[in-house]
Amino acid sequence: MMTYIVFILSVIFVVSFVGFSSKPSPIYGGLVLIVSGGVGCGIIVNFGGSFLGLMVFLIYLGGMLVVFGYTTAMATEQYPEVWVSNTTVMGVFLLGLLMEVMLVLYVLKSEEVGVVFKFSGVGDWAIYDTGDSGVFSEEIMGVAALYSYGAWVVIVTGWSLLVGVLVILEVTRGD
Amino acid sequence: MNPLIFTTILMTVLLGTMIVMMSSHWLMIWIGFEMNLLAIIPILMKKYNPRTMEASTKYFLTQATASMLLMMAIIINLMHSGQWTITKVFNPTASIIMTSALAMKLGLTPFHFWVPEVTQGISLTSGLILLTWQKLAPMSILYQISPSINLNILLTMAVLSILVGGWGGLNQTQLRKIMAYSSIAHMGWMTAVLVYNPTLTMLNMLIYIMMTLTMFMLFIHSSSTTTLSLSHTWNKTPLTTTLILITLLSMGGLPPLSGFMPKWMIIQELTKNSSIILPTLMAIMALLNLYFYMRLTYSTSLTMFPSTNNMKMKWQFETKRITLLPPLIVMSSLLLPLTPMLSILD
Repeated sequence: MMTYIVFILSVIFVVSFVGFSSKPSPIYGGLVLIVSGGVGCGIIVNFGGSFLGLMVFLIYLGGMLVVFGYTTAMATEQYPEVWVSNTTVMGVFLLGLLMEVMLVLYVLKSEEVGVVFKFSGVGDWAIYDTGDSGVFSEEIMGVAALYSYGAWVVIVTGWSLLVGVLVILEVTRGD
Repeated sequence: MNPLIFTTILMTVLLGTMIVMMSSHWLMIWIGFEMNLLAIIPILMKKYNPRTMEASTKYFLTQATASMLLMMAIIINLMHSGQWTITKVFNPTASIIMTSALAMKLGLTPFHFWVPEVTQGISLTSGLILLTWQKLAPMSILYQISPSINLNILLTMAVLSILVGGWGGLNQTQLRKIMAYSSIAHMGWMTAVLVYNPTLTMLNMLIYIMMTLTMFMLFIHSSSTTTLSLSHTWNKTPLTTTLILITLLSMGGLPPLSGFMPKWMIIQELTKNSSIILPTLMAIMALLNLYFYMRLTYSTSLTMFPSTNNMKMKWQFETKRITLLPPLIVMSSLLLPLTPMLSILD
């Protein structure tokens, strides 16, 4: 099972995405978002990126999703929709599950996946070994490079986040 | 809207397009598109009625889907070439997906359905920004990947766009929908010549933006959004009826006016590349566009459209001052003698 662990985790990832995109009430959407976040962290950790996986848990699940959960709990309705309560939601969820099952069976038959393009596995993050400073991993070096060479990216993303807040406040302000 | 916030959001729209046009990393281009989309939503929703909200939602959904397709094409390109710089797209699948994504952003057929509905639901100024500035970013990316675009797909989309833009505008009386169908047709002309000579695409884009700016500013000046209210301009400012006539004929591509220059150059470039049926078809279908422009000029400037007697005596309150209007009118009608200067663009 350990050789297929990335595959199993990615199947759970897609199933939880189907779970919230079939639009139950947001509180249940948040529930499967937690599952998908944790599973996504597992996928990243399996490729050797332990730092980024822990970032997903801490910042995404522990920060943003907690705030999302609290605001959804404040704005929830009396009878929230589950996947089995509404025919439409259940139908979409089952349709998504069916497509995922068919895709899984197709993938398990062949070595490489060729639906629209050929995809024959990804590599891990590289590990650099310098003599004096020890072992570096590529994914941590990427995060460090973001703040040194990629200063423009930090500026652009920071500005996008600020303008995102302004835009959301403007849109929801109404008259 | 608070003027400071409005200025910030408008500047972010400009910043998004600038980031798209000047980046060499695919991820930054995607970020630029998203920033552009995010910041233009409150501009589209300046008035808070259900129509603007519906139009902004439709715009957001289609453009977000296009950005997702763009990201998928970027990742396929990364998988097959191993690098993030924009030179050309190395995989045919990625090229097709990217062309479809950029066509969705531009409003080419078969992804044109959002253009009339979104343009109709928003105010005239927002429609102006939507139809001119928002076309710059996707067109710049198409220009940069033009060596690797699949010719069949792009030409099919272009010819169908000219057809849809001509036919769809025939039954319209709302001016914003007419401008939307005109935009679809002009985008078709621009992308038809993209693979052969991308400079002409940029020329067409420049002249189209000038003409559309002029038309929208003339509409804003007379505050008219339907053909009927446009036909009352003889009473408010009689000079603008002549200006509307000249600009509309220029948009239709008639010879002594500057709108003829891109069409002429495009047809010449296509025939130089030994495709003769295609430019003939395109020129014939541009006549459909000319027909509904002529219908607008008929009701506006060529006849005094029948109206009730109280419409013939309008109170003149303060007229809007649009500073950029006279130079734009001159540029969108008198640029044809400058065509030999195009040789500097090589």
